[in-house]
Amino acid sequence: MIALIRSEFRKVFSTKLLLILALSALGFMLLQIFLSIFLTPPGFEDINRLMDPAYIKTIIAAAGSASVFLLILGIVAMSGEYRNQTITSTFLTTPVRWRVIVAKMVTFAILALALALVLWFIAAITTMLLLGTQDSAPFEWSAAFEILGGTLIGLVLYAILGVAIGSLITSQVAAIIIALVFTFVLEPLITVFFLSVGKWLPGNALNAILQTGGGGPESNASDLLDVPVGALVLVGYTVVFAVAAALTTNRRDIT
Amino acid sequence: MEHLTKKFGSGVTAVEDLSFSAAPGKVTGFLGPNGAGKTTTLRCLLGLVAQTSGNATIDGVTYREIENPITVVGASLEASGAHPARTARNHLRMIASAAKIPDTRVSEVLETVGLTAAADRKVGGFSLGMRQRLALAVALLGDPKVLILDEPANGLDPEGISWLRTFLRHQASKGVSVLISSHVLSEVQQTVDDVIIIRSGSLVYQGSLHSLTEGGPAEVVVRGPKIDQLVLPSEWSSRSVGGGETVITGATIEAVGRAAFEQSLELHELSSKSADLEELFLGLTAEESPTNQPMNGKGGPA
Repeated sequence: MIALIRSEFRKVFSTKLLLILALSALGFMLLQIFLSIFLTPPGFEDINRLMDPAYIKTIIAAAGSASVFLLILGIVAMSGEYRNQTITSTFLTTPVRWRVIVAKMVTFAILALALALVLWFIAAITTMLLLGTQDSAPFEWSAAFEILGGTLIGLVLYAILGVAIGSLITSQVAAIIIALVFTFVLEPLITVFFLSVGKWLPGNALNAILQTGGGGPESNASDLLDVPVGALVLVGYTVVFAVAAALTTNRRDIT
Repeated sequence: MEHLTKKFGSGVTAVEDLSFSAAPGKVTGFLGPNGAGKTTTLRCLLGLVAQTSGNATIDGVTYREIENPITVVGASLEASGAHPARTARNHLRMIASAAKIPDTRVSEVLETVGLTAAADRKVGGFSLGMRQRLALAVALLGDPKVLILDEPANGLDPEGISWLRTFLRHQASKGVSVLISSHVLSEVQQTVDDVIIIRSGSLVYQGSLHSLTEGGPAEVVVRGPKIDQLVLPSEWSSRSVGGGETVITGATIEAVGRAAFEQSLELHELSSKSADLEELFLGLTAEESPTNQPMNGKGGPA
Protein backbone atom coordinates (compact mmCIF):
# COMPACT_ATOMS: atom_id res chain seq x y z
CA MET A 1 0.00 0.00 0.00
CA ILE A 2 2.92 2.34 0.76
CA ALA A 3 4.22 1.71 -2.77
CA LEU A 4 0.82 2.51 -4.25
CA ILE A 5 0.53 5.73 -2.24
CA ARG A 6 4.01 6.73 -3.40
CA SER A 7 2.88 6.07 -6.97
CA GLU A 8 -0.20 8.24 -6.41
CA PHE A 9 1.94 11.08 -5.06
CA ARG A 10 4.12 10.84 -8.16
CA LYS A 11 1.00 11.04 -10.31
CA VAL A 12 -0.23 14.18 -8.53
CA PHE A 13 3.07 16.00 -8.54
CA SER A 14 3.80 15.29 -12.21
CA THR A 15 0.86 17.42 -13.41
CA LYS A 16 -0.27 20.94 -12.56
CA LEU A 17 -3.75 19.92 -11.39
CA LEU A 18 -3.04 20.24 -7.65
CA LEU A 19 -1.33 23.60 -8.02
CA ILE A 20 -4.15 25.06 -10.10
CA LEU A 21 -6.92 23.87 -7.79
CA ALA A 22 -5.02 24.87 -4.61
CA LEU A 23 -4.48 28.39 -5.97
CA SER A 24 -8.13 28.59 -7.07
CA ALA A 25 -9.25 27.52 -3.60
CA LEU A 26 -6.98 30.15 -2.05
CA GLY A 27 -8.27 32.90 -4.32
CA PHE A 28 -11.90 31.95 -3.75
CA MET A 29 -11.36 31.85 0.01
CA LEU A 30 -9.66 35.28 0.12
CA LEU A 31 -12.41 36.78 -2.02
CA GLN A 32 -15.01 35.41 0.37
CA ILE A 33 -13.17 36.89 3.38
CA PHE A 34 -12.84 40.31 1.71
CA LEU A 35 -16.53 40.37 0.77
CA SER A 36 -17.61 39.24 4.24
CA ILE A 37 -15.67 42.05 5.86
CA PHE A 38 -16.14 44.93 3.44
CA LEU A 39 -19.57 44.23 1.96
CA THR A 40 -22.82 44.63 3.81
CA PRO A 41 -25.80 42.68 2.47
CA PRO A 42 -29.14 44.53 2.03
CA GLY A 43 -31.07 44.75 5.28
CA PHE A 44 -27.94 44.86 7.43
CA GLU A 45 -27.04 48.53 6.76
CA ASP A 46 -27.87 49.74 10.25
CA ILE A 47 -25.89 47.15 12.24
CA ASN A 48 -22.16 46.44 12.26
CA ARG A 49 -21.98 42.68 11.93
CA LEU A 50 -18.26 42.80 12.63
CA MET A 51 -19.08 43.52 16.29
CA ASP A 52 -20.53 39.99 16.55
CA PRO A 53 -17.85 37.36 17.49
CA ALA A 54 -20.04 34.60 15.99
CA TYR A 55 -19.97 36.40 12.63
CA ILE A 56 -16.18 36.68 12.79
CA LYS A 57 -16.06 32.93 13.26
CA THR A 58 -18.02 32.41 10.05
CA ILE A 59 -15.52 34.64 8.22
CA ILE A 60 -12.62 32.42 9.24
CA ALA A 61 -14.69 29.40 8.23
CA ALA A 62 -14.26 30.58 4.63
CA ALA A 63 -11.38 28.08 4.66
CA GLY A 64 -14.08 25.43 4.40
CA SER A 65 -15.17 26.83 1.03
CA ALA A 66 -12.13 25.04 -0.41
CA SER A 67 -14.20 21.87 -0.02
CA VAL A 68 -15.66 22.14 -3.52
CA PHE A 69 -12.17 22.50 -5.00
CA LEU A 70 -11.02 19.39 -3.17
CA LEU A 71 -14.12 17.59 -4.40
CA ILE A 72 -13.15 18.56 -7.96
CA LEU A 73 -9.52 17.62 -7.30
CA GLY A 74 -10.56 14.09 -6.34
CA ILE A 75 -13.00 13.82 -9.25
CA VAL A 76 -10.49 15.04 -11.85
CA ALA A 77 -7.66 12.88 -10.51
CA MET A 78 -9.73 9.70 -10.59
CA SER A 79 -11.83 10.21 -13.72
CA GLY A 80 -8.73 11.63 -15.43
CA GLU A 81 -7.21 8.15 -15.32
CA TYR A 82 -10.10 6.94 -17.47
CA ARG A 83 -9.98 10.01 -19.68
CA ASN A 84 -6.26 9.67 -20.39
CA GLN A 85 -6.43 5.87 -20.39
CA THR A 86 -3.73 5.66 -17.73
CA ILE A 87 -6.26 3.48 -15.91
CA THR A 88 -5.10 0.63 -18.18
CA SER A 89 -1.51 0.68 -16.93
CA THR A 90 -2.70 1.45 -13.41
CA PHE A 91 -4.88 -1.67 -13.30
CA LEU A 92 -2.31 -3.77 -15.17
CA THR A 93 0.19 -2.87 -12.47
CA THR A 94 -2.32 -3.34 -9.63
CA PRO A 95 -5.11 -5.71 -10.73
CA VAL A 96 -6.61 -5.69 -7.21
CA ARG A 97 -8.46 -2.53 -8.09
CA TRP A 98 -9.83 -1.49 -4.69
CA ARG A 99 -6.24 -1.05 -3.55
CA VAL A 100 -5.75 1.63 -6.21
CA ILE A 101 -8.88 3.45 -5.06
CA VAL A 102 -7.89 3.26 -1.39
CA ALA A 103 -4.36 4.47 -2.21
CA LYS A 104 -5.79 7.40 -4.13
CA MET A 105 -8.18 8.24 -1.30
CA VAL A 106 -5.38 8.14 1.28
CA THR A 107 -3.18 10.30 -0.97
CA PHE A 108 -5.81 12.95 -1.49
CA ALA A 109 -6.80 12.83 2.19
CA ILE A 110 -3.17 13.65 3.09
CA LEU A 111 -3.04 16.44 0.50
CA ALA A 112 -6.39 17.81 1.70
CA LEU A 113 -5.20 17.76 5.30
CA ALA A 114 -2.07 19.75 4.43
CA LEU A 115 -4.03 22.17 2.27
CA ALA A 116 -6.72 22.60 4.94
CA LEU A 117 -4.08 23.51 7.54
CA VAL A 118 -2.49 26.08 5.24
CA LEU A 119 -5.82 27.59 4.15
CA TRP A 120 -7.14 27.73 7.70
CA PHE A 121 -3.99 29.55 8.82
CA ILE A 122 -4.13 32.02 5.92
CA ALA A 123 -7.87 32.60 6.57
CA ALA A 124 -7.24 33.32 10.24
CA ILE A 125 -4.28 35.64 9.60
CA THR A 126 -6.09 37.51 6.80
CA THR A 127 -9.21 37.95 8.94
CA MET A 128 -7.08 39.17 11.84
CA LEU A 129 -5.22 41.71 9.71
CA LEU A 130 -8.34 43.00 7.92
CA LEU A 131 -10.35 43.29 11.12
CA GLY A 132 -7.53 45.47 12.46
CA THR A 133 -8.46 48.05 9.84
CA GLN A 134 -12.14 48.01 10.86
CA ASP A 135 -14.28 48.91 13.79
CA SER A 136 -14.93 45.38 15.05
CA ALA A 137 -14.95 42.93 17.90
CA PRO A 138 -11.43 41.67 18.66
CA PHE A 139 -10.06 38.73 16.66
CA GLU A 140 -9.80 35.68 18.93
CA TRP A 141 -7.53 32.74 18.07
CA SER A 142 -9.80 30.57 20.23
CA ALA A 143 -12.59 31.20 17.70
CA ALA A 144 -10.24 30.23 14.86
CA PHE A 145 -9.33 27.01 16.65
CA GLU A 146 -13.01 26.12 17.03
CA ILE A 147 -13.20 26.14 13.21
CA LEU A 148 -9.98 24.17 12.69
CA GLY A 149 -11.31 20.67 13.40
CA GLY A 150 -14.30 21.11 11.10
CA THR A 151 -12.12 22.52 8.32
CA LEU A 152 -9.71 19.58 8.46
CA ILE A 153 -12.43 16.91 8.63
CA GLY A 154 -14.59 18.61 5.99
CA LEU A 155 -11.86 19.10 3.42
CA VAL A 156 -10.40 15.62 3.91
CA LEU A 157 -13.82 13.99 3.52
CA TYR A 158 -14.64 16.05 0.44
CA ALA A 159 -11.38 15.03 -1.23
CA ILE A 160 -12.15 11.37 -0.53
CA LEU A 161 -15.73 11.89 -1.76
CA GLY A 162 -14.28 13.38 -4.96
CA VAL A 163 -12.18 10.26 -5.64
CA ALA A 164 -15.26 8.10 -5.01
CA ILE A 165 -17.44 10.17 -7.39
CA GLY A 166 -14.66 10.15 -10.01
CA SER A 167 -14.62 6.37 -9.99
CA LEU A 168 -18.41 6.03 -9.97
CA ILE A 169 -18.88 8.48 -12.85
CA THR A 170 -15.85 7.97 -15.06
CA SER A 171 -16.82 10.57 -17.63
CA GLN A 172 -14.87 13.53 -16.30
CA VAL A 173 -17.16 16.24 -17.66
CA ALA A 174 -20.31 14.48 -16.44
CA ALA A 175 -18.82 13.89 -12.99
CA ILE A 176 -17.83 17.55 -12.54
CA ILE A 177 -21.14 18.88 -13.85
CA ILE A 178 -23.18 16.55 -11.65
CA ALA A 179 -21.10 17.45 -8.58
CA LEU A 180 -21.35 21.19 -9.21
CA VAL A 181 -25.05 21.15 -10.06
CA PHE A 182 -25.74 19.20 -6.91
CA THR A 183 -23.58 21.48 -4.73
CA PHE A 184 -24.67 24.83 -6.11
CA VAL A 185 -28.22 24.24 -7.42
CA LEU A 186 -29.90 21.13 -6.09
CA GLU A 187 -28.73 21.21 -2.51
CA PRO A 188 -29.45 24.96 -1.96
CA LEU A 189 -32.92 24.52 -3.49
CA ILE A 190 -33.75 21.56 -1.28
CA THR A 191 -32.39 23.46 1.72
CA VAL A 192 -34.53 26.52 1.03
CA PHE A 193 -37.76 24.57 0.61
CA PHE A 194 -37.24 21.55 2.85
CA LEU A 195 -34.65 22.39 5.48
CA SER A 196 -35.59 19.28 7.48
CA VAL A 197 -34.35 17.20 4.53
CA GLY A 198 -31.68 19.63 3.37
CA LYS A 199 -29.79 19.67 6.63
CA TRP A 200 -28.94 16.01 6.15
CA LEU A 201 -27.28 16.67 2.78
CA PRO A 202 -23.46 16.70 2.57
CA GLY A 203 -23.09 20.45 1.99
CA ASN A 204 -25.12 21.33 5.07
CA ALA A 205 -23.43 18.61 7.10
CA LEU A 206 -20.20 20.41 6.17
CA ASN A 207 -21.73 23.78 7.13
CA ALA A 208 -22.77 22.22 10.43
CA ILE A 209 -19.24 21.14 11.33
CA LEU A 210 -17.84 24.48 10.12
CA GLN A 211 -20.52 26.21 12.27
CA THR A 212 -21.21 28.73 9.50
CA GLY A 213 -25.00 28.67 9.45
CA GLY A 214 -25.23 27.53 5.86
CA GLY A 215 -26.95 29.39 3.04
CA GLY A 216 -27.04 33.15 3.38
CA PRO A 217 -27.01 35.79 6.10
CA GLU A 218 -30.50 35.08 7.43
CA SER A 219 -29.96 31.37 8.07
CA ASN A 220 -28.90 30.22 11.46
CA ALA A 221 -26.41 27.64 12.66
CA SER A 222 -29.07 26.33 14.99
CA ASP A 223 -31.10 25.12 11.96
CA LEU A 224 -28.32 22.73 11.08
CA LEU A 225 -27.18 19.45 12.61
CA ASP A 226 -25.03 19.40 15.74
CA VAL A 227 -21.31 19.33 15.01
CA PRO A 228 -20.72 15.64 15.89
CA VAL A 229 -23.87 14.55 14.03
CA GLY A 230 -22.80 16.58 10.99
CA ALA A 231 -19.38 14.96 11.09
CA LEU A 232 -20.94 11.49 11.30
CA VAL A 233 -23.30 12.24 8.40
CA LEU A 234 -20.40 13.41 6.26
CA VAL A 235 -18.35 10.34 7.18
CA GLY A 236 -21.40 8.23 6.31
CA TYR A 237 -21.72 9.73 2.83
CA THR A 238 -18.01 9.26 2.23
CA VAL A 239 -18.04 5.62 3.33
CA VAL A 240 -21.11 4.76 1.24
CA PHE A 241 -19.68 6.41 -1.89
CA ALA A 242 -16.23 4.88 -1.31
CA VAL A 243 -17.62 1.35 -0.97
CA ALA A 244 -19.83 1.83 -4.04
CA ALA A 245 -16.79 3.09 -5.96
CA ALA A 246 -14.68 0.08 -4.99
CA LEU A 247 -17.44 -2.40 -5.87
CA THR A 248 -18.35 -0.90 -9.25
CA THR A 249 -14.70 -0.42 -10.23
CA ASN A 250 -13.93 -4.05 -9.50
CA ARG A 251 -16.56 -5.19 -12.02
CA ARG A 252 -15.97 -2.57 -14.68
CA ASP A 253 -14.62 -3.54 -18.12
CA ILE A 254 -11.60 -1.39 -18.98
CA THR A 255 -11.82 -0.96 -22.74
CA MET B 1 -7.39 -19.41 -23.88
CA GLU B 2 -10.26 -21.85 -23.41
CA HIS B 3 -13.73 -21.37 -24.86
CA LEU B 4 -13.48 -17.65 -24.29
CA THR B 5 -16.68 -15.74 -24.96
CA LYS B 6 -17.25 -12.06 -24.38
CA LYS B 7 -20.59 -10.45 -24.96
CA PHE B 8 -20.87 -6.75 -24.34
CA GLY B 9 -24.19 -5.21 -23.36
CA SER B 10 -26.66 -4.57 -26.21
CA GLY B 11 -26.00 -8.04 -27.60
CA VAL B 12 -22.63 -7.47 -29.24
CA THR B 13 -20.58 -10.65 -29.18
CA ALA B 14 -16.93 -9.65 -29.56
CA VAL B 15 -15.40 -13.05 -28.98
CA GLU B 16 -17.17 -16.39 -29.32
CA ASP B 17 -15.94 -19.71 -27.95
CA LEU B 18 -12.34 -18.89 -28.79
CA SER B 19 -9.67 -21.41 -27.81
CA PHE B 20 -5.97 -21.21 -28.57
CA SER B 21 -2.60 -21.30 -26.88
CA ALA B 22 0.69 -19.56 -27.47
CA ALA B 23 3.81 -21.62 -26.93
CA PRO B 24 6.40 -20.42 -24.40
CA GLY B 25 9.65 -18.98 -25.72
CA LYS B 26 8.17 -18.20 -29.13
CA VAL B 27 6.90 -15.16 -30.94
CA THR B 28 3.24 -15.74 -31.74
CA GLY B 29 1.36 -13.48 -34.10
CA PHE B 30 -2.27 -12.90 -33.18
CA LEU B 31 -3.91 -11.83 -36.40
CA GLY B 32 -7.25 -10.79 -37.68
CA PRO B 33 -8.92 -7.85 -39.38
CA ASN B 34 -9.97 -4.80 -37.39
CA GLY B 35 -12.93 -5.61 -35.20
CA ALA B 36 -12.19 -9.34 -35.13
CA GLY B 37 -11.94 -9.29 -31.32
CA LYS B 38 -8.15 -9.24 -30.88
CA THR B 39 -8.05 -6.39 -28.40
CA THR B 40 -11.02 -7.76 -26.44
CA THR B 41 -9.32 -11.15 -26.24
CA LEU B 42 -6.08 -9.61 -24.98
CA ARG B 43 -7.94 -7.46 -22.46
CA CYS B 44 -9.70 -10.57 -21.12
CA LEU B 45 -6.31 -12.26 -20.83
CA LEU B 46 -4.99 -9.28 -18.87
CA GLY B 47 -7.92 -9.10 -16.46
CA LEU B 48 -9.12 -5.73 -17.73
CA VAL B 49 -12.32 -7.09 -19.24
CA ALA B 50 -14.35 -9.83 -17.57
CA GLN B 51 -15.24 -12.58 -20.02
CA THR B 52 -18.83 -13.80 -20.20
CA SER B 53 -17.59 -17.40 -20.10
CA GLY B 54 -14.43 -19.41 -20.59
CA ASN B 55 -10.92 -19.06 -19.24
CA ALA B 56 -7.94 -16.94 -20.16
CA THR B 57 -4.78 -17.88 -18.31
CA ILE B 58 -1.04 -17.30 -18.44
CA ASP B 59 1.02 -20.28 -17.24
CA GLY B 60 -2.17 -21.72 -15.77
CA VAL B 61 -3.20 -18.71 -13.67
CA THR B 62 -5.30 -15.68 -14.44
CA TYR B 63 -3.54 -12.33 -14.70
CA ARG B 64 -5.31 -10.99 -11.63
CA GLU B 65 -3.98 -13.89 -9.55
CA ILE B 66 -0.35 -13.04 -10.31
CA GLU B 67 1.54 -11.29 -7.53
CA ASN B 68 3.01 -8.02 -8.86
CA PRO B 69 2.01 -9.02 -12.41
CA ILE B 70 4.04 -6.54 -14.45
CA THR B 71 7.22 -8.31 -13.34
CA VAL B 72 5.84 -11.49 -14.99
CA VAL B 73 3.77 -10.23 -17.92
CA GLY B 74 4.52 -7.00 -19.74
CA ALA B 75 1.74 -5.55 -21.85
CA SER B 76 1.32 -2.63 -24.17
CA LEU B 77 -2.29 -2.09 -25.09
CA GLU B 78 -2.81 1.28 -26.65
CA ALA B 79 -0.45 3.97 -27.73
CA SER B 80 -2.18 6.81 -25.97
CA GLY B 81 -2.32 5.56 -22.40
CA ALA B 82 -0.37 8.43 -20.87
CA HIS B 83 -1.31 11.81 -19.42
CA PRO B 84 -0.39 14.42 -22.07
CA ALA B 85 1.12 16.81 -19.53
CA ARG B 86 3.33 14.16 -17.95
CA THR B 87 6.84 13.46 -19.18
CA ALA B 88 7.77 10.01 -20.44
CA ARG B 89 10.08 9.54 -17.46
CA ASN B 90 7.40 10.53 -14.93
CA HIS B 91 4.90 8.23 -16.63
CA LEU B 92 7.30 5.32 -16.14
CA ARG B 93 8.27 6.41 -12.63
CA MET B 94 4.67 6.36 -11.38
CA ILE B 95 4.22 2.81 -12.70
CA ALA B 96 7.62 1.72 -11.37
CA SER B 97 6.88 2.89 -7.84
CA ALA B 98 3.52 1.09 -7.75
CA ALA B 99 5.31 -2.17 -8.65
CA LYS B 100 8.31 -1.52 -6.37
CA ILE B 101 10.64 -1.37 -9.37
CA PRO B 102 13.74 0.82 -8.79
CA ASP B 103 13.93 4.12 -10.69
CA THR B 104 17.20 3.06 -12.32
CA ARG B 105 15.14 0.61 -14.37
CA VAL B 106 13.18 3.55 -15.82
CA SER B 107 16.33 4.94 -17.44
CA GLU B 108 17.22 1.47 -18.71
CA VAL B 109 13.94 0.89 -20.52
CA LEU B 110 13.96 4.42 -21.95
CA GLU B 111 17.39 3.58 -23.38
CA THR B 112 16.14 0.21 -24.71
CA VAL B 113 13.31 1.77 -26.68
CA GLY B 114 15.41 4.72 -27.81
CA LEU B 115 13.54 7.44 -25.92
CA THR B 116 16.36 8.71 -23.71
CA ALA B 117 16.59 12.01 -25.57
CA ALA B 118 12.83 12.58 -25.26
CA ALA B 119 12.53 11.24 -21.70
CA ASP B 120 11.83 14.60 -20.08
CA ARG B 121 9.47 15.88 -22.74
CA LYS B 122 5.71 15.87 -22.27
CA VAL B 123 3.96 12.88 -23.81
CA GLY B 124 1.36 15.21 -25.35
CA GLY B 125 3.96 16.29 -27.90
CA PHE B 126 4.94 12.75 -28.86
CA SER B 127 4.38 11.26 -32.30
CA LEU B 128 2.42 8.03 -32.60
CA GLY B 129 5.68 6.14 -33.06
CA MET B 130 7.15 7.63 -29.89
CA ARG B 131 3.98 6.71 -27.96
CA GLN B 132 4.36 3.14 -29.21
CA ARG B 133 7.93 3.10 -27.94
CA LEU B 134 6.79 4.49 -24.59
CA ALA B 135 4.13 1.77 -24.38
CA LEU B 136 6.85 -0.80 -25.08
CA ALA B 137 8.99 0.76 -22.35
CA VAL B 138 6.07 0.31 -19.93
CA ALA B 139 5.76 -3.34 -20.97
CA LEU B 140 9.49 -3.90 -20.39
CA LEU B 141 9.62 -2.12 -17.04
CA GLY B 142 9.20 -5.23 -14.90
CA ASP B 143 11.65 -7.28 -17.02
CA PRO B 144 8.84 -9.79 -17.73
CA LYS B 145 9.12 -13.30 -19.19
CA VAL B 146 5.96 -12.79 -21.25
CA LEU B 147 5.20 -9.84 -23.51
CA ILE B 148 1.71 -9.11 -24.80
CA LEU B 149 1.68 -6.38 -27.41
CA ASP B 150 -1.47 -5.06 -29.08
CA GLU B 151 -0.75 -3.64 -32.54
CA PRO B 152 2.73 -2.39 -31.60
CA ALA B 153 3.57 -1.69 -35.24
CA ASN B 154 0.64 0.69 -35.65
CA GLY B 155 1.90 4.16 -36.45
CA LEU B 156 5.52 3.12 -36.86
CA ASP B 157 7.42 4.24 -39.94
CA PRO B 158 9.36 1.62 -41.94
CA GLU B 159 12.46 2.31 -39.86
CA GLY B 160 10.41 1.86 -36.69
CA ILE B 161 8.96 -1.44 -37.95
CA SER B 162 12.43 -2.70 -38.74
CA TRP B 163 13.54 -1.63 -35.25
CA LEU B 164 10.53 -3.43 -33.74
CA ARG B 165 11.47 -6.63 -35.59
CA THR B 166 15.02 -6.56 -34.22
CA PHE B 167 13.64 -5.77 -30.79
CA LEU B 168 11.20 -8.69 -30.83
CA ARG B 169 13.81 -11.14 -32.11
CA HIS B 170 16.14 -9.98 -29.35
CA GLN B 171 13.43 -10.52 -26.72
CA ALA B 172 12.69 -13.97 -28.14
CA SER B 173 16.40 -14.86 -28.09
CA LYS B 174 16.38 -14.04 -24.37
CA GLY B 175 13.62 -16.64 -23.91
CA VAL B 176 10.77 -14.14 -23.61
CA SER B 177 7.44 -15.40 -24.95
CA VAL B 178 5.78 -12.80 -27.13
CA LEU B 179 2.16 -12.56 -28.20
CA ILE B 180 1.80 -9.78 -30.74
CA SER B 181 -1.42 -8.74 -32.41
CA SER B 182 -1.73 -7.14 -35.80
CA HIS B 183 -4.25 -6.70 -38.58
CA VAL B 184 -1.49 -6.75 -41.20
CA LEU B 185 0.28 -10.08 -41.64
CA SER B 186 3.25 -8.58 -43.48
CA GLU B 187 4.06 -6.44 -40.43
CA VAL B 188 4.84 -9.47 -38.33
CA GLN B 189 5.53 -12.08 -41.01
CA GLN B 190 9.32 -11.85 -40.63
CA THR B 191 9.15 -11.94 -36.85
CA VAL B 192 6.67 -14.59 -35.78
CA ASP B 193 7.15 -18.33 -35.36
CA ASP B 194 3.49 -19.20 -34.96
CA VAL B 195 0.30 -17.50 -35.98
CA ILE B 196 -3.20 -17.48 -34.57
CA ILE B 197 -5.78 -16.03 -36.92
CA ILE B 198 -9.26 -15.05 -35.81
CA ARG B 199 -12.25 -13.68 -37.66
CA SER B 200 -15.42 -12.32 -36.04
CA GLY B 201 -14.29 -13.54 -32.64
CA SER B 202 -13.64 -17.13 -33.76
CA LEU B 203 -10.49 -19.05 -34.58
CA VAL B 204 -9.74 -19.71 -38.24
CA TYR B 205 -6.15 -20.90 -38.03
CA GLN B 206 -3.60 -21.85 -35.44
CA GLY B 207 -0.19 -23.22 -36.27
CA SER B 208 3.22 -22.33 -37.54
CA LEU B 209 3.66 -19.71 -40.20
CA HIS B 210 5.36 -22.43 -42.29
CA SER B 211 2.35 -24.76 -42.25
CA LEU B 212 0.10 -21.87 -43.17
CA THR B 213 2.12 -21.45 -46.37
CA GLU B 214 2.01 -25.17 -47.09
CA GLY B 215 -1.71 -25.25 -46.57
CA GLY B 216 -2.22 -22.91 -49.47
CA PRO B 217 -2.26 -23.95 -53.14
CA ALA B 218 1.29 -24.20 -54.51
CA GLU B 219 1.86 -22.94 -58.01
CA VAL B 220 4.51 -23.86 -60.58
CA VAL B 221 5.62 -21.34 -63.15
CA VAL B 222 6.95 -22.61 -66.48
CA ARG B 223 8.21 -20.49 -69.32
CA GLY B 224 9.40 -21.50 -72.77
CA PRO B 225 9.03 -20.59 -76.46
CA LYS B 226 6.45 -23.35 -77.20
CA ILE B 227 4.92 -23.71 -73.78
CA ASP B 228 1.34 -23.66 -75.09
CA GLN B 229 2.07 -27.09 -76.67
CA LEU B 230 2.62 -28.62 -73.22
CA VAL B 231 -0.02 -31.25 -72.57
CA LEU B 232 -1.00 -31.53 -68.93
CA PRO B 233 -2.84 -34.27 -67.01
CA SER B 234 -6.45 -33.32 -66.45
CA GLU B 235 -6.09 -33.04 -62.65
CA TRP B 236 -3.73 -30.09 -63.08
CA SER B 237 -5.06 -26.72 -63.93
CA SER B 238 -3.13 -24.11 -65.80
CA ARG B 239 -3.47 -20.58 -66.94
CA SER B 240 -1.39 -18.71 -69.47
CA VAL B 241 -0.11 -15.37 -68.28
CA GLY B 242 1.43 -14.30 -71.59
CA GLY B 243 5.08 -13.98 -72.64
CA GLY B 244 5.33 -17.73 -73.03
CA GLU B 245 4.61 -18.19 -69.35
CA THR B 246 2.11 -20.57 -67.78
CA VAL B 247 1.15 -20.99 -64.16
CA ILE B 248 0.18 -24.52 -63.13
CA THR B 249 -1.61 -25.46 -59.93
CA GLY B 250 -2.10 -28.92 -58.46
CA ALA B 251 1.31 -30.25 -59.46
CA THR B 252 4.76 -30.47 -57.93
CA ILE B 253 7.67 -28.76 -59.61
CA GLU B 254 9.25 -32.19 -60.30
CA ALA B 255 6.13 -33.47 -62.06
CA VAL B 256 5.93 -30.40 -64.29
CA GLY B 257 9.65 -30.71 -65.15
CA ARG B 258 9.22 -34.40 -66.05
CA ALA B 259 6.19 -33.66 -68.24
CA ALA B 260 8.13 -31.00 -70.18
CA PHE B 261 11.13 -33.32 -70.54
CA GLU B 262 8.98 -36.23 -71.77
CA GLN B 263 7.36 -33.94 -74.33
CA SER B 264 10.80 -32.59 -75.38
CA LEU B 265 9.83 -28.98 -74.82
CA GLU B 266 12.45 -26.30 -74.36
CA LEU B 267 12.10 -24.52 -70.98
CA HIS B 268 13.52 -21.14 -70.00
CA GLU B 269 12.08 -21.13 -66.54
CA LEU B 270 10.76 -23.70 -64.10
CA SER B 271 10.03 -22.34 -60.66
CA SER B 272 7.66 -22.84 -57.77
CA LYS B 273 5.75 -19.95 -56.43
CA SER B 274 4.62 -20.31 -52.85
CA ALA B 275 1.21 -18.97 -52.14
CA ASP B 276 1.23 -15.32 -51.22
CA LEU B 277 0.84 -15.06 -47.44
CA GLU B 278 -1.11 -11.85 -47.56
CA GLU B 279 -3.56 -13.40 -50.05
CA LEU B 280 -3.92 -16.46 -47.85
CA PHE B 281 -4.49 -14.25 -44.84
CA LEU B 282 -7.11 -12.20 -46.63
CA GLY B 283 -8.74 -15.40 -47.86
CA LEU B 284 -8.91 -16.75 -44.31
CA THR B 285 -10.27 -13.60 -42.79
CA ALA B 286 -12.72 -12.53 -45.49
CA GLU B 287 -16.33 -12.74 -44.35
CA GLU B 288 -17.61 -14.79 -47.30
CA SER B 289 -14.52 -16.75 -48.17
CA PRO B 290 -14.40 -20.21 -49.76
CA THR B 291 -11.85 -21.28 -47.14
CA ASN B 292 -14.33 -20.93 -44.33
CA GLN B 293 -13.38 -24.22 -42.72
CA PRO B 294 -10.95 -23.82 -39.84
CA MET B 295 -7.52 -25.10 -40.77
CA ASN B 296 -5.33 -26.39 -38.04
CA GLY B 297 -1.64 -26.72 -38.64
CA LYS B 298 -1.09 -28.41 -35.32
CA GLY B 299 -4.10 -30.64 -34.94
CA GLY B 300 -6.78 -28.37 -33.60
CA PRO B 301 -7.15 -25.74 -30.97
CA ALA B 302 -5.26 -26.45 -27.79
